[in-house]
Amino acid sequence: MMDRWDRFDKIISQVEQFALSFFLAVLILVAFSQIVLRNFWETGLSWGDPLARYLVLWIGFIGAALATKENKHISIDLFSQWVSSVGNTLIKLINHLFSTFISGLLAFAAFRFTQNEALFGGVSVFGIPAWIPLIILPIAFGLMTLRFGFRFLKIFFTILFTGANQDDTNSR
Amino acid sequence: MSLFITATIILISLLFGTPIFVVISGLALYLFFFAQIDLSAIIIEMHRMATTSMLVAIPLFTFAGYLVSESGAPKRLIRFSNAILGWLPGGLSIIALITCAIFTALTGATGLTIIAIGGILLPAMIEGKYPESLSLGLLTTSGTLGLLFPPSLPLIIYAIVAKVRIDQLFIAGILPGTLLVLMLSLFSIHRSVRADVPKTQFRLEEVFIALRESLWELPLPFILLGGIYTGYFAVSEASAITVVYIIMVEVVVYRDVKWRELPEIMKKSMVLVGVILIILGAAMGLTNYLIDAEIPMKILDFIRAHIENRFFFLIVLNLFLLAVGCTMGIFSSLVVVIPLITPIAAVYGIHPVHLGIIFLTNLEIGASIPPLGINLFISSIRFERPVLELYLASLPFIVILLIGLTLITYLPWISLVLIR
Repeated sequence: MMDRWDRFDKIISQVEQFALSFFLAVLILVAFSQIVLRNFWETGLSWGDPLARYLVLWIGFIGAALATKENKHISIDLFSQWVSSVGNTLIKLINHLFSTFISGLLAFAAFRFTQNEALFGGVSVFGIPAWIPLIILPIAFGLMTLRFGFRFLKIFFTILFTGANQDDTNSR
Repeated sequence: MSLFITATIILISLLFGTPIFVVISGLALYLFFFAQIDLSAIIIEMHRMATTSMLVAIPLFTFAGYLVSESGAPKRLIRFSNAILGWLPGGLSIIALITCAIFTALTGATGLTIIAIGGILLPAMIEGKYPESLSLGLLTTSGTLGLLFPPSLPLIIYAIVAKVRIDQLFIAGILPGTLLVLMLSLFSIHRSVRADVPKTQFRLEEVFIALRESLWELPLPFILLGGIYTGYFAVSEASAITVVYIIMVEVVVYRDVKWRELPEIMKKSMVLVGVILIILGAAMGLTNYLIDAEIPMKILDFIRAHIENRFFFLIVLNLFLLAVGCTMGIFSSLVVVIPLITPIAAVYGIHPVHLGIIFLTNLEIGASIPPLGINLFISSIRFERPVLELYLASLPFIVILLIGLTLITYLPWISLVLIR
């Protein structure tokens, strides 16, 4: 199961990587054309600003999901240098479990939020229903939950099979 | 009481390496749950924050900063300032300070300064016979030196969270930031002269070569600042112009960065944006609860009962912010502490923009303060020195910065004269 998840995760992260570059490129184009249009033709794209805002939303949350895979989230690591490797593995185990739990709750809350918008929401840019741009929220939090969860499982199984002394280097 | 205990336990997990956004959202979710508020309230806040129109500037400036750091711009910048200032006693140390400041302004105090610039400058300074402790201390404390200069990320985040006008904050940071660079420069000159560092000769020819080499990059700060200062374009527009300008210069003119390398740089910078945005979003959710529960008012009542005047309040504020900056790091301090501080400072009659500058100066210095300042650890890894050695090397620089902080705190004029 782990191997299958790793392969799946790799494909997803490639999609995320592409999406980040693509959305940023579009964002740059839209933001810059607005300036050119405003200064030289005194006009602007009516959909430009809302589109830019949604692009930032997507970039931000895809970036956060990818940061979970790459272990780039900002954290304060005070004690790891003074704790034994067994202690460290246990701390990591609890950390990942807690992170999985919280991301899961956030994914659930995001799902509810999007669902509500779908029921009562209006229309956003290009006549797209307003909830469509919001689906990135449950998707991103869902991915984070899976990523934290599998990382927890990996350490858990390593401990189970080899004892807590074996530090899983990928998990840091 | 159990509410308080659980909240404390969640907060303590912060110190054990749990990602900050997890801790903050965990706390917010728990408090919402306890207050019987629907959990999606935190998502509503995240969504509202992530779609603020001012936020567009963050991905654009961050990408621009990463692009510059991957290009040959830092080297050209060092060469140019060396041509102009290298003949001064302690010239190279001044160059280091200026380069670090500019670079931090562009990359937003994310640790890149020490990693990218420090790596070039430390060998250069040691080769130039600068004392090692001077070089190490200087490069460590300069890791966050340009924080007050636009378009640094912490300035933008402060403006968003504290709802201060961002163009005013950009302009207000210029003088205090320059003051800090100037004070550190004077100190470095003094130390270099005492250590008998050999001077290099001034050559007009080299100035021209270096000038021609970085001809395309030099106008950027003037376009950026001039445009914002005159109100010709808004900050979000400035960010779009900066990105396009830097792509043109680094990719098309200098060809330091190839087109096919752009996606990787985009990805790297956008991961950082995601990391920061999600902390911001989670903090907005938490803040919302805190304000609903009137926590800032309660802190305010407590403080008012114990602190009578502004003078004393500012001392306490500075000590508190230094401690926060040292332990929590710049970004999390920003989002968590600003909402608590701003209403209190307003009562003591502190101008919101001045407060922003005080706040950011504290975080800038806090990042170098032992035992936990992040600059010390980044330096320790980058320069392969024990942290303890860096504590000692940074100490004199921290003292100078603290004197600067005192000036900035008690002379609001320095921050406010340009925006009046």
